[in-house]
Amino acid sequence: MPRLSTLAVFLAALAAWHVASTSGWVTPFLLPSPQAVFETLVELAGSGVLAKHTLVSLRRVASGYLLAIAFAVPVALLFSLSGALRRMIEPLLEFLRQIPPLAMMPLLILWLGIGEAQKIGIIVLSCFFPIFLGVRGGITAVDRKLIDVGTVYGFSRTEIMLRIVLPSALPSIVVGLRIGLGYSWRALVGAELIASSAGLGYMIVDAENLARTDIVLAGILVIGVLGLISDHLLRYLISRKASWLSGDLEMARA
Amino acid sequence: MLEAHQLGKAYRLGETEVVALAGVDLTFPRGSITTVVGRSGCGKTTLLRLLAGLEQPTSGALRRQGGPVRTGVVFQEARLMPWLDTLGNVSFGLRRRFPASVAEERSRVALETVGLSAFADAMPSQLSGGMAQRVAIARALVTEPDLLLLDEPFAALDAFTRRAMQNELIAIWQKKRPTIVFVTHDVEEAVLLGQHVLELERGRVVGHEPVDLPFPRDPTATAVNDHRRRILANLTAPAREPETAVLPAPDKEPSR
Repeated sequence: MPRLSTLAVFLAALAAWHVASTSGWVTPFLLPSPQAVFETLVELAGSGVLAKHTLVSLRRVASGYLLAIAFAVPVALLFSLSGALRRMIEPLLEFLRQIPPLAMMPLLILWLGIGEAQKIGIIVLSCFFPIFLGVRGGITAVDRKLIDVGTVYGFSRTEIMLRIVLPSALPSIVVGLRIGLGYSWRALVGAELIASSAGLGYMIVDAENLARTDIVLAGILVIGVLGLISDHLLRYLISRKASWLSGDLEMARA
Repeated sequence: MLEAHQLGKAYRLGETEVVALAGVDLTFPRGSITTVVGRSGCGKTTLLRLLAGLEQPTSGALRRQGGPVRTGVVFQEARLMPWLDTLGNVSFGLRRRFPASVAEERSRVALETVGLSAFADAMPSQLSGGMAQRVAIARALVTEPDLLLLDEPFAALDAFTRRAMQNELIAIWQKKRPTIVFVTHDVEEAVLLGQHVLELERGRVVGHEPVDLPFPRDPTATAVNDHRRRILANLTAPAREPETAVLPAPDKEPSR
């Protein structure tokens, strides 16, 4: 449960917003009052528009994120198993890592069109590296003293990998997963702001074109809340399934 | 019986070759308890890692009589898997050879041997140093090793805990009679625990002190003190050879 002080900070931000918009310092057109935004939210929710856009966005994040995991984890494992492969390919990956995924948008639109593939592609590009680096870093940093324990028991390489290396890499893997999840939300909205016909990002741009600041703000609030919820869900899962990791989680706020 | 013939290990440190163990001949009779004593960098950890099969010798060989040997190792640090509870750590190496129920049953017995039955569900982070080391001992005992190798297992413990653990080790040895090789830099500990004390210096065995006293031994007894004094005199004697580099312990290399 959120603490009282946390709630107080949220309420204070809300109050400041309220004062700013109702006192006339800012025109209501640029910053509608919280009440107006809330009413718009209720209206959007009631008409089913919000649910439609949210579902589209959620589906994109889910498929992009899972796809990125499906690529990043095996590649990281392969690199950890084969030094030759790593030395060969890692410099290229390092080069690609420097390119902001949104800079790849024009190319992706040309290659994949403006459909789902391009949006999911952007998400995969954005969260591939945090996940990949999390797995790689975790495996590289494994304590060799723990591997000795397995060697004494006569473990095979596979057993050492599965029973010692991967579990001890888990904190770093989890950090990568959590950062990747945050990145995937950012990339999604970026992708939806440019060529799109549905999704929360689209809803925001569309509202901007119609000069509906209230819908823009409503969309922003929903994105923030969804990001928070997915992060908490991930943390909850980890604290249930791997309670010894809880302390490592705080590093993953990016 | 375990025999080392001209067993040697050399490392390359940049351009220079450093000899950690310079071809030693050793015999460890079955069921005996041997302590190896020497200062840091004398090659005792290297010797133990060779006996454990964690390193390959660069010269000489190990010979085991009477078939393959089940080896248990206790390191200076407990080296418990932080993601497993006490019971999971003790049964760590058993899971591959036995069904889970058998592994658990045997692990509970091993935990009882080291007096930690009440802590089967505790996580390593919840254990004190002495308790963690006892878990590590239980983990080594649970495979019923005929060769038990210990590398300064009590060095990080306070004097009271160390004393208690030494007595526990002797009790376990008297009950199960594994061949024990116990490495330490503490001469008193070497005399209290060993039937044979091997003195190691710069990768060479420079002395062998048989200690024929009943267990448990009293650290204040005159006989213990006599052995201690003789070993100390031998180990602190003037250098027999020109100074050579002191090696970092082989298992303390910086990780990749």
